[in-house]
Amino acid sequence: MNKIINPTRRSLLKRSAALGAMSAIGTSIAMPSWASGHLRDPAAILDDISVANYVRKDYQDLYEMSGDPLWDPNKDWIRTVDWEKVRQELSGTTVRFAVGAADAESALAGLAPFEALSGITVEVVPIPDDSMYDKVLAEFISGNASFDALQFFSPWLGDFAAPGFLHELDDFAEKWSLPLDDFYDTYRMNYGFFNGKMYGIPFDCDIQMVHVRKSYMETILGGEVDVVNSIPTYDELIRVSGELNKIEPGVSGVGMMAAPGFWSTYTWEHISAQAGMMLFDENWEPIFNGDEGMKGLDTILQLSKNANEGHAGAGWPENRAAWLGGQVATNISWQDSGTQGMRPDQSNIVDDFVTIYEPRIAGGRFAPPNIAGSTSCVAASAQNAEGAFLMLGFLTTASIMAMNEANANGVAPGYRSVLENEELRKVSQPAKVWGESLDHAWCSPRLPGAFPIEQAIGNEINRAVVGQITGQEALDNAAVAVRRIMSENGFYQGNDPVDYAAAEPGLYVGEGKPLPF
Amino acid sequence: MASVRRTKSENLFIRYLILGSWALFCLGPVIWFLSIGFRPRTEIITPQPIYISALSLDAWHMIWSDWPMAKYLRNSVAAIFGSVVIDLALAIPAAYSLARYKYRGREDIGFYILSTRMMAPAIVAIPIFFLFRNMGLLDTIWALMLIYAAINLSIVTWIIRSYMTDIPKELEDAARTDGAGDLRILWEIIIPAVLPGVITAAVIAMIFAINEFLFTLLIASTPDAYTMSVALANFTGGSDGLIYNAIALVAFLAFVPVFLVVIAIQKHLSRGLTMGAVKG
Amino acid sequence: MNGSHLSDMGAASAAPKLPTLKPAFKRRSKRLRAWFPYLLVAPAVIYLLMITLYPGIYAAVQSFYAVKFGPWNPVGFDNYVRLWGDYQFWGALWNTFIMGAISLIIQCVFALTLAFYAYRDPWVKGWRIIFLVPMLFMPSAVAFMFKLLFLDARVFADILIRIGLIDGNLAIQSSIWGSRALLILTDVWQWTPFLFIIFVAGLQGQDEEIEEAARLDGATWGKIFWNISLPLMRPVIAVALVIRAIDITTMFANVFIVTKGGPAFGTETISFFIYRTGFKFFNFGYASAASVIMLIITIVVAQLVVKRAFKSGKD
Repeated sequence: MNKIINPTRRSLLKRSAALGAMSAIGTSIAMPSWASGHLRDPAAILDDISVANYVRKDYQDLYEMSGDPLWDPNKDWIRTVDWEKVRQELSGTTVRFAVGAADAESALAGLAPFEALSGITVEVVPIPDDSMYDKVLAEFISGNASFDALQFFSPWLGDFAAPGFLHELDDFAEKWSLPLDDFYDTYRMNYGFFNGKMYGIPFDCDIQMVHVRKSYMETILGGEVDVVNSIPTYDELIRVSGELNKIEPGVSGVGMMAAPGFWSTYTWEHISAQAGMMLFDENWEPIFNGDEGMKGLDTILQLSKNANEGHAGAGWPENRAAWLGGQVATNISWQDSGTQGMRPDQSNIVDDFVTIYEPRIAGGRFAPPNIAGSTSCVAASAQNAEGAFLMLGFLTTASIMAMNEANANGVAPGYRSVLENEELRKVSQPAKVWGESLDHAWCSPRLPGAFPIEQAIGNEINRAVVGQITGQEALDNAAVAVRRIMSENGFYQGNDPVDYAAAEPGLYVGEGKPLPF
Repeated sequence: MASVRRTKSENLFIRYLILGSWALFCLGPVIWFLSIGFRPRTEIITPQPIYISALSLDAWHMIWSDWPMAKYLRNSVAAIFGSVVIDLALAIPAAYSLARYKYRGREDIGFYILSTRMMAPAIVAIPIFFLFRNMGLLDTIWALMLIYAAINLSIVTWIIRSYMTDIPKELEDAARTDGAGDLRILWEIIIPAVLPGVITAAVIAMIFAINEFLFTLLIASTPDAYTMSVALANFTGGSDGLIYNAIALVAFLAFVPVFLVVIAIQKHLSRGLTMGAVKG
Repeated sequence: MNGSHLSDMGAASAAPKLPTLKPAFKRRSKRLRAWFPYLLVAPAVIYLLMITLYPGIYAAVQSFYAVKFGPWNPVGFDNYVRLWGDYQFWGALWNTFIMGAISLIIQCVFALTLAFYAYRDPWVKGWRIIFLVPMLFMPSAVAFMFKLLFLDARVFADILIRIGLIDGNLAIQSSIWGSRALLILTDVWQWTPFLFIIFVAGLQGQDEEIEEAARLDGATWGKIFWNISLPLMRPVIAVALVIRAIDITTMFANVFIVTKGGPAFGTETISFFIYRTGFKFFNFGYASAASVIMLIITIVVAQLVVKRAFKSGKD
C-alpha cells in the first residue's frame, strides 16, 4: 500500500513485472492485429503471467522460487474466465482508465496482456496524484467523467458511492464469475459494497499489525519469540518497549505513526479497536470518545514515551524508513513492514524480525484493523462499464496480486487462496498471521466525508501526543469536529446517506469466532 | 569601487575563526548530503548515522530509469527559458519607460510593479489554480511559464531599470539627433548597453523559477509538467518511501548549473538581488 | 509633464542638425510621444494586473461562498466570521510572524558580522563564493537535507550524544519550539548569504577615504564599523531586510517538506494554512477568505514599509 493520500499505481504496474518481460508480451501482439480478428491464444498469454516473468529476478534467486504459482489457479479469475466469450462480446471496444500521476506509462505496459486477452483497448487517463480526490470528484459531479474505471483510496468509497457516482457491479460479478467469496469478508464487505450493493473490487488490501525485532526480544525473553504469547497485551507492549528502549544507541522501543492528520487516526484506530471501540453508534453519533477510545489513546501516550524521536512527525514514509533502517525494536504499522523487511535491497533487518498476532486489551476483543487500502470502481457515467469491470478484474486477480506481494511493493492481496498458499508464505513473512487475523478484522465505515473526518481526528490526537492537550480533550474535540463534518455531508437530517444496518456487519467480522490461537 | 581593504588589522585570528566556522557550517551539510547521494539505500537511515559509507551509483541509475528525470529536466528548462523570454519582452520596454521618461503616474506604476514582488504565492494560489483549470492549462508547461513570468516580472523590470538609469544621456541624445526613433534607440543602443543588467536579471529570474514550489505543486501533477523542485517531493510517497539518495542527486543536478551561472555574474549579484537598490 | 522632459525634447528639436519635418507630422509625433512611455510600460502592467487584480477579485468574490467542487453556495461573511474564531488561523499568523522575526534577526546579525569581517579580507571573493553555496540550492532540496540531517537520519542527535551534551532522544518533532527552531535554522542556513552578499557590496561601496581618515585617528575597525559604516549602510540594510522579510512570510516549502505544519499546527505558516484548507480540506471559499486577509495585510505593509525602504535605497 502506498501510504499517501493518493496511492500511486507506480507500485503495482511498474513493479508487477520485470518491465522487459512486460514489454515483450506487449510487443509480441502487434496492436492492430486484434482488429483483423487474429488474437493470440489466451492460454499462451496466461502462461506468460507467471512468477518467472513478473517477480523480480533478485527475489526469485534469493528465495529460490521454483516458478510454482503463489496462488490457486482455480481461484485466479483470469484463468477461469472465458476469454473467448469476452472477445466475442467486447473485442474492439475501449476502456478509459484513470491512473495516478507517474504510472501512466507503466500502467499501459501492465495492461498489455489484458488487451491481448480481451481485445479491449485501454486508454490511460492520467490523474494528478496529489489532487486525485478533487479531480475525480469534480469529474463525477460534471456528470461526464473522462474515465470509465479508477482505483482509489478505499475510505473514499463513501464519498463516491453515496452521491451515485459509481456503477453497480453485482450483475457483472455474477455474469463473469468473479470469485468474490475468495476475498476475506472484511475486504469484500468494506471495499466492495455500499448500502448493500456492490460497487468495487478490492485492490490493495491493507491491515495494520505489530512487528518485533527478534534479536532484541530474545535478550529480554531469554528464548525465541512466540507470536501469540510473547506480547499478548498492549500493556505488555508498553512494558517491553520500555525495556527495549535505548537497548542499543539509536534504537527506540517502539515505532509508530503519530503525525498530524490521518496517520495518527490510523494508529489510534488500530489500538482502540482492540479495546472494543466502535466509531459510531447505530444513529451515526460519534461514540469514539468513550472509554474504549480513551484506552486506545492512553496506550498511545504511554507508548510514546518509548517511541522513536520522530514519531510525532512520522507518517508511513518516515516510519517505514525507521523500521527498515533498524531504528526501532518494535513497530506498529502496516503489513508491508513485515514483507519489505525481508528484502535486502531495502532493509537492514533481514531475518531479524517477526510479525506477531495483534496484542489484546483486557475487556476488549481481538480485532486486527483493516485500515486504508484501495478499491477499484467503475464510473456511473462509464461508456464501457462492462469492459471497465473486466479490466479491473484483471488487475485485481489473485495471481497478479500474489506477485505484487512477492515483489514487496506494498500492494497487498486480500484473497484467502493467496495468503494460505504455501509458496506465497515463503516469500511473505507475515502471510500466515495476517491471513488468520483477517477473519476477526475491524474496519471503519465508508462514509462521505471520511477524509476530512480522518484528518480532524488525527490532528487532535497529535496535539495530545505532543502534550498540548489531554487525551480526553482531544477525543472530545474530535467528536465535535466529526459531528460537524457528518452533518455537512447529509447525516442527522432524517435521511442518512449510509444505512447503518447495511454497513454494520463489515465493521467487525470477528463476532463469536474462535481465536486463531 | 574598492574591493580590497588593508589587511592589517587586529584579530586576524578572530576573523578567520568566524569566517571559517561559517564556511564549515555552509559546506558541511552540503558535503555530507553529496555523500548521501552516492550511497546504497540501506546506509542512509540507520540507528546511528553512518558517516563513512560504501560508494554506490544506485541512485544515479534509479533517477534516470525509474523516474522520468529527463522529463523533469526538460520541463524545468522549458518553463524557465520560456518565462525568462516573456519577462524580457515585457520588462525591457517597461524598464526603459520607468528609467528614461518622466510622466504622470510613473512613480505609482513603478511602485505597483515593485509591489507584485511582495505578493505571497499563497494569496493568489487558489484563484490561479481555478483559472488554469478552467482554461484547461493545468499540468502544462505553458501554465508554469506564465506563472513564473508573472512572479519574476517585477524583479526583472526593476533590475533592468536600475542599469538603464546608469546609461549616460548623451548616448541617446546623439542617436536622437541622428534621427533615430525611440524604438530603434532602445534596440540598438540601450539594450546592448545594459546587457550585464539583462543577463543578471535573467539569471535571477531563472533561479527564482527553479526554486518555485507552491504554484508548481498545485499546477503540475504528472511528469508532463513536474519540474525538479517539485519532483523531489515525488521521491517520498511511492511504494519505496523516502529515497534520499535520489533526492540528493537531483538536488546537485539543479545546483551545479545555477552555481556556475551565478559565479559568472557575481559582480552584479547584490544589485540584482535588491532590484537595483544596492549597487555592487 | 515636468520641465526636464520637455527640455530634453526642446534640446533635441532645437539642435541644428534636425531634419525639417512637416508641421502636421510634428504634431502627430508629439502626441504619440506623450503616450509612448505608457505604451512601453503597458504590456508589463497588464500582465501583472492579470496575475494580481484578477485573482484578487476572484478570491475576494469566492470568499463569500462555500465552495467545494460543485455549486458555489453564498454564505455572506460566514467565512470571515469563522476565520476570526479559528485558532488555527491565528496560530498560522502568529507562527509566520514569530518564526519569521526570529529568523530575520538571526540572519541579519550573522550577515552583518560576516560582512564586517569579510569585506576587508583579501580573500573576500573566495568567502563570497563559499557563503553563496547554500543559497543556490533549491529550497525544497535544502528542506530535505535538513529533514534528513536533523530528523530521519538523526545526525544532529548523534553528534550531540557523542560529545556528551545529551544522552537520550532529541524529539524535535514532539516539540513545537523544537520544530520551529529547525525551520528557523533551515532558513538561516539558506538565506543568510542573501543578506551577506548585499551587505558586503554595501560596505565595499563605501568611501575608503573616510575609513582611512578614521584609521589614522586611531579608531579600531570595530569602532569604524559601528559609528561610520553601519549608519551609512542604513538604506542598504533596510532594502535587504524588507526583501528578505517579504520572502520569509511566504515560507511554504520548508513547512511542507520538513514538518507539514508541525506538531499541533505549531509550525504552520499562513501559506501552509491556505494550502491546507484549500487543497486538503477543499474549503476553497474559506481559504480564499484567508488569502484576502493576507492580501490586505500585504498591501498595508507595502504602503507603509516597502515604499519608504525603496525610496531611500533608490539611486
